[in-house]
Amino acid sequence: MFQRYLILAALLLAPAIHAQQDQPSISQLLQEPFLDDYYSNVVYGYEIVTDSQRHASRYVGNALNCSSCHLQAGTQKDALPLNVAGMYPKWRAKNGKRNGIGLRIRECFLYSMDGIMPPEDAPEVLAVSAYVSYLSQGEVMGAEPDGRGVPTLPDTGYDPNPASGRLVYLQQCASCHGEQGQGVGVAPPVWGLDSFNRGAGMHGIETAAGFIWANMPLGRGRSLTHQQALDVAAYINLQIRPADPRESRFLKLLEAVLP
Amino acid sequence: MIARIARQLLREALPDFAWRRRLTHWRTEIFAGFVGAVLVIPQGINFAWLAGMQPEYGLYCAIFVTLFASLLGSSSMMSGPNTAVAILIGAAVLPLAGRGSPVYVDFVFLLCLMVGIVQLLFWLLRAGRLFQYISPAAISGISAGAGFLIVMSSLDSLLGLSSFQTTFFYEKLYVILSDAVDLVNPWSLSIALITITAGYLGREYSSRYFLLIAVAAGYLAGLVVAFIWPQPVTELEYLGRMPIEWLPWRVPTLTMEYLMISVSLIPYAVTIAVIGLAQSLVIVRELKMETDQDIRLDKEVYAQGVANFLAPFFSAFAGAGSFNRTKANQALGATTPLSTFAASVFVLLLVSALGPVLTWMPMAALAGTLFIVGANMIKWSDVQHYAQVRSELVIYLASFLCIVFFGLASGVTVAVVLSVTAFLLNISRVELREESTQAGTVLRVRGALFYASMETLSDAFHRHLQGDLTVDLQYATHIDQSAVDFFAREAAQMRRRGQTLHLLVNATQGHFLQAMGVGENVRLQALQDDAPPATIPFANLQSATTTGETR
Repeated sequence: MFQRYLILAALLLAPAIHAQQDQPSISQLLQEPFLDDYYSNVVYGYEIVTDSQRHASRYVGNALNCSSCHLQAGTQKDALPLNVAGMYPKWRAKNGKRNGIGLRIRECFLYSMDGIMPPEDAPEVLAVSAYVSYLSQGEVMGAEPDGRGVPTLPDTGYDPNPASGRLVYLQQCASCHGEQGQGVGVAPPVWGLDSFNRGAGMHGIETAAGFIWANMPLGRGRSLTHQQALDVAAYINLQIRPADPRESRFLKLLEAVLP
Repeated sequence: MIARIARQLLREALPDFAWRRRLTHWRTEIFAGFVGAVLVIPQGINFAWLAGMQPEYGLYCAIFVTLFASLLGSSSMMSGPNTAVAILIGAAVLPLAGRGSPVYVDFVFLLCLMVGIVQLLFWLLRAGRLFQYISPAAISGISAGAGFLIVMSSLDSLLGLSSFQTTFFYEKLYVILSDAVDLVNPWSLSIALITITAGYLGREYSSRYFLLIAVAAGYLAGLVVAFIWPQPVTELEYLGRMPIEWLPWRVPTLTMEYLMISVSLIPYAVTIAVIGLAQSLVIVRELKMETDQDIRLDKEVYAQGVANFLAPFFSAFAGAGSFNRTKANQALGATTPLSTFAASVFVLLLVSALGPVLTWMPMAALAGTLFIVGANMIKWSDVQHYAQVRSELVIYLASFLCIVFFGLASGVTVAVVLSVTAFLLNISRVELREESTQAGTVLRVRGALFYASMETLSDAFHRHLQGDLTVDLQYATHIDQSAVDFFAREAAQMRRRGQTLHLLVNATQGHFLQAMGVGENVRLQALQDDAPPATIPFANLQSATTTGETR
């Protein structure tokens, strides 16, 4: 009788034991004295995502970190989570190509981080893709993970209004992001030359509004109305920020010089 | 005894700044240092790329290895990032981890630590003079092979392809020509071609700064391209910001697992230590011959060892002496380590100031300079130079071809083995000359009599089965136990045949042969003159020996 209970207990515990053999958490990895090539790249990728200013300064051109938008180091749903390795390669309208995860990460450096597109085999790119693979464990290959990207806001029936967005911004956002959007402390700059450029995904009002509605103010996500989020996004969208790197400075100059 | 050795080692180990008495034109020295710093920046970045490291590590190497070598050394040799060392670091660590990944960087620093330890062992064992047995042909062959490897590895960046390695170089060419022609980035290729063209045109104009001209041309071409076409269109690669720190202190990871894995790095550490020291000592020896610097080889070995040992603690990889920068330094009139010291400080200042400018340096321009550097290391004049002596040509070509086909590490091994073999063959050769006199046959021996040269001697003995034999040993440079045994054995045999063996020796040799137990069968004949002049050519030998015989 006792033996039967033992077997039953073992059967019940089996999934738990199996779960323990799962991949280690980042905090566990950070305490390991020795990591193999894969996990050391995962940890490096984690460090890049959380502190891009220090660990990927080579290709970063502004004051943002990856985790400025990919909240909780890319683990928070509806805040552009990074568990998307199973979705690549995939065609994207942005560049009209089939994008591997590598190109996707390199474009982040070019647009969102307003920096230089790293080479394909840059250690930083490989580390971030290792981290993305690590986060994607357990996701279904080819399927969209739950809470991917940012939520799409329903049509409110009104156009986004930057003027009311300004009021909302001053009321709700300026205490952390600063009245000039320059960012204070850990709150990143949301416009200005230290923020993302005009080619970034966040420069789209819909994306920004979805992000703001789901996550902002930080810790009190979904407290704004859809319309407020759209207004703030429109207000931010109008501010000064670095130019889209896809535009040629030469052609701009020609346009300015030629009648 | 031990105390004396320890005191001598300690005297070498501490920086003595003996050169400050020679320091007369400190402005010349500092300007030479500035030029050295300007020259080393593109090299440091390129060689870091060859070593698979981020560019700032190459600059740290240019700063800290140069600094320590200058503080502890006694010559005006410019140390720092070195091509062969960088290629070997890449070859050693790439099988263990991906380029530039954290584990890779850890292993590189572990490797450099080992290189420093091996070089310090060379210093403790006074093994610096071993490097004079590596022939100049071997060094030139290694240099040419390294140049070839550099040219091949610059092709990826030059064509805008992602880097790939093949077992043999022609596979790489085949892959590029057959599969990757449509992947070649035209912007990258044009910038690289502009760089290379500017380099070769600039060499007509200035043989010292043409690399700078090339880099500048490539950089400007990159700026123009970046201004007209945006990066998403050109897909050009740029250097990026370098996070340069003034004191990049770091402690190498020394866990048990790392040490277990790094056992496989030991052969590479020895190879890097040998090739680094070999190049440095060739430079130092040239400096010693061409200038009046008070250079001590052991001190230079120590300086290299300490510089490479301390390098990992300052985020730098190992380095060695640099031919081209030492030449430029010398041409500008620098004669003391002050210029080297100034160079390391100027690198730090220049990189801090130039950082934002270097950010937009196209990798294609750097690949172009790498191409020039590599192509310059393969010199047709070297082949012609060494073609005079067959053994030298064989050593040169063998080490070059080995590197081309089997990699730098095996090439270095082959070069060392071949030059030591050539050396051994040379010294084990004894010249024998037979003369017939009234007293019987006289065999005059010139060279070292030791176990390796016994073969020649025994052939000569076995041709004489009748009559007495006199062996003239006064020009034998060395006699060892096996030679003594040989004489005793042969004398016994000859006695059985009724012959007598006479050895014509000076007093020292006579005492030595008796002490070693040459036996009763050998007749020792003493020469009148105990210390014949050491430099008598062979032709005069006869007249010199006849006096000995008449006695």
